[in-house]
Amino acid sequence: MLRLPVIKLTAGLQNGRISVARLHTTSSKLQQELVEVFIDDKPVQVPPGTTVLQAAAKVGVEIPRFCYHERLAVAGNCRMCLVEIEKQIKPVAACAMPVMKGWRVKTNSDLTRKAREGVMEFLLVNHPLDCPICDQGGECDLQDQSMAFGSDRSRFVDINYTGKRAVEDKDIGPLIKTIMTRCIHCTRCIRFASEVAGIDDLGTTGRGNDMQVGTYVEKMFLSELSGNIIDLCPVGALTSKPYAFVARPWETRRTDSIDVLDAVGSNIVISHRTNEVLRILPRVNEEINEEWLSDKARFSCDGLKRQRLITPMIKINGNLEAVEWEDALVATARAIQNIAPNKCAGIAGKLVDAEALVALKDLVNRLGGEILATEQSFPKEGAGIDLRSNYLLNNTIAAVEEADVVLLIGTNPRYEAPLVNTRLRKGYIHGEQTIGLIGPNVDLTYDYEHLGQSADIVTQLRNGTHPFSNTLKSAKKPLIILGVDQLMRKDGAKILSETQLLAQTLGENTKAPEEWKVLNILHTRASQVAALDVGYSSTIEEVKEQQPKVLFLLGADDANIKREDFPNTCIIYIGSHGDEGASIADVILPGAAYTEKVATYVNTEGRSQQTCAAITPPGMARPDWKIIRALSEICGVRLPYDNLAEVRSRLEEIAPHLVRYGAVESANYFAQALELSKQVPGSLSSDPLEVKQETLDQFFMTDAISRASQTMAKCVQAVIKQRESNL
Amino acid sequence: MATPVTSGLKQVKPILSLTHVEARRKVITLYKTWYRQIPFIKANYILPVTKEECQQKLREEFYRHANVRDLRVIDMLLVKGQMELQEVCAQWKPAATLLRYWKQTEEPKPKDFMSKFLSGHRE
Repeated sequence: MLRLPVIKLTAGLQNGRISVARLHTTSSKLQQELVEVFIDDKPVQVPPGTTVLQAAAKVGVEIPRFCYHERLAVAGNCRMCLVEIEKQIKPVAACAMPVMKGWRVKTNSDLTRKAREGVMEFLLVNHPLDCPICDQGGECDLQDQSMAFGSDRSRFVDINYTGKRAVEDKDIGPLIKTIMTRCIHCTRCIRFASEVAGIDDLGTTGRGNDMQVGTYVEKMFLSELSGNIIDLCPVGALTSKPYAFVARPWETRRTDSIDVLDAVGSNIVISHRTNEVLRILPRVNEEINEEWLSDKARFSCDGLKRQRLITPMIKINGNLEAVEWEDALVATARAIQNIAPNKCAGIAGKLVDAEALVALKDLVNRLGGEILATEQSFPKEGAGIDLRSNYLLNNTIAAVEEADVVLLIGTNPRYEAPLVNTRLRKGYIHGEQTIGLIGPNVDLTYDYEHLGQSADIVTQLRNGTHPFSNTLKSAKKPLIILGVDQLMRKDGAKILSETQLLAQTLGENTKAPEEWKVLNILHTRASQVAALDVGYSSTIEEVKEQQPKVLFLLGADDANIKREDFPNTCIIYIGSHGDEGASIADVILPGAAYTEKVATYVNTEGRSQQTCAAITPPGMARPDWKIIRALSEICGVRLPYDNLAEVRSRLEEIAPHLVRYGAVESANYFAQALELSKQVPGSLSSDPLEVKQETLDQFFMTDAISRASQTMAKCVQAVIKQRESNL
Repeated sequence: MATPVTSGLKQVKPILSLTHVEARRKVITLYKTWYRQIPFIKANYILPVTKEECQQKLREEFYRHANVRDLRVIDMLLVKGQMELQEVCAQWKPAATLLRYWKQTEEPKPKDFMSKFLSGHRE
């Protein structure tokens, strides 16, 4: 296991770098004295231990590199970053060499340029000349740097390619295409796999000209973060399999957006052309996803083109038939007409945006209904959803890595929120984090203490009768992460209340700073926090009890909503994909997916962000809130907003933080929530805590979009095949 | 002691016409010239409209500005009318452009929410 206690940091974890630099920062006395160095005669003051490359970056000089990556350990094997230092005979590798006082670094001298040219020449001797058919073309570091720093003439004479190195391609799964001849052995993929993803599958075999990057035995590289090695690869050795030969980077348009397939709210760039999403790439956001992206977010975009609802549909003689918008709206309005008060309800699904949630709430309320539920119900006992601290990841995602003891209750962050798990892993590797887990014994990519599977361990931890409670109570920055799925259990409210009590006990004991929040809830659904914020408080059981005349399913595709439960109900489905929800509906109104609308989502830490429309909705589909607005006009209860700005001002009326994009609106009133939760009746049940996603094959298909994706289906097959092969 | 503000009331310089009578005479002359040109326009261009429709359209175009009282504006319109006539006489203007006077294919854009929604108009 890769865990280097030598590099335990005193100076706080900035970006998880294991570098030579860190070894020198252990003394706080040294840290205060800055060293002056000169980069191209520009003086710069840096702390001792800073590498030449970092010092150069500080004055805006970029030194070319292949193997160095700021979020990975320093390897220093590509030699591209060689620079000359005055009064030294040999050039030094800037990425690995800490600066010394008074060094004069020359990043553009003859010697430096000659060194780079030499390195480029060696790299290109064994690199194929297949740029025209290479998927990396146009975004290739080797291409760019050979143009910028390479020699303008070649000494390569083997035009018959008799001695050129060639390496067999490897099959490492349905997501990553390998063309290993192109590999320049930067080892970024290996370092990513062992440091960030925690899958120590990749490595090198052989030496010198025979060196190969691979998986030793023929097996698949199956990780929930595997797609990131495509971005990391500076050449075209690792490329995206679904995106192979699809487009060139200069012919696509890019739209910045937000991922909604989990509750983390990773920032993404949607690459699209001719009204078609081609691929999804991560966008740097240090506070959320750094620069990584989970495979579901990255590769399920082909699900946006399949199983789409493109026309409104009405059930005629037991069959759903495509109709015009006018007919569908009039038919719906007829069902709603003369409805008795409180005979109208709504259920919101996983991928719904805040605008649609607010519009549906306004419509149902105007029709006299009060029952608005989310698929994943939140317990009503205690403070319920009235106090936000009850249902947020209060301590923010970025701060997870700062904790010294973490207790996970009934959650598998590796699959529920892969990018929260990378933070935990980072804390474990670089910050000596101790992690305990209550729940099934799953592989989290790092070692943890498995405390058991029963819910009353939480109580034991508080009473101090459990061996782990000493660790927990002596923690300086303890953190509890409770999986939201546990709250759907019968004793969900009690689990929440016990967790709150434990969090409070820990909070009192520790000397953590004021803003440190022990209690955290990890959500799995992008729409959930926004839905709870605007007041979707009911449960599906309440909807079933009420037997509404009209039921709106707003993208609700959960399998526990069944036609049999609603024998006399007109079910109206508003959503983008033909999934469970659409199959039980009487009227289908086609909505837009997250790449097709400008919409607000609130992530698990309470950060509101907006998606941007990259393409237009297919066929006759419309943005969800507009459908509800149009329907309201036909029903005679016109909602008072006509455009996005007006909807957003309505959002602001309900919850101002919904339109403060990018900012975390933190919660408060922990003490009050705790007081209220003490009144929760009942006791913890003896059923073991279960999580829905225990193994990798359960990770890939969790919602309408990923279920419609062929790539995700291939991933599931690959994982099952791998498991059967026993490698 | 207050002095009357005179600088804002400067007499503007006329373009063509000094009086309304003179302007009116010029407009009628332009109208007549256009009217007499219609048979030749019909001969030069292949237009799917009759002579009567052309005359009707000519009347419409002149009556569109019937409420203009400002001499300088009338003069400006006169000059533009003259230029337009020249373009048509010399056949600088293609037939399709000339037919824009009838605006046969133009549909009004949806204005309110419902018609925008139904037509699929996107903001």
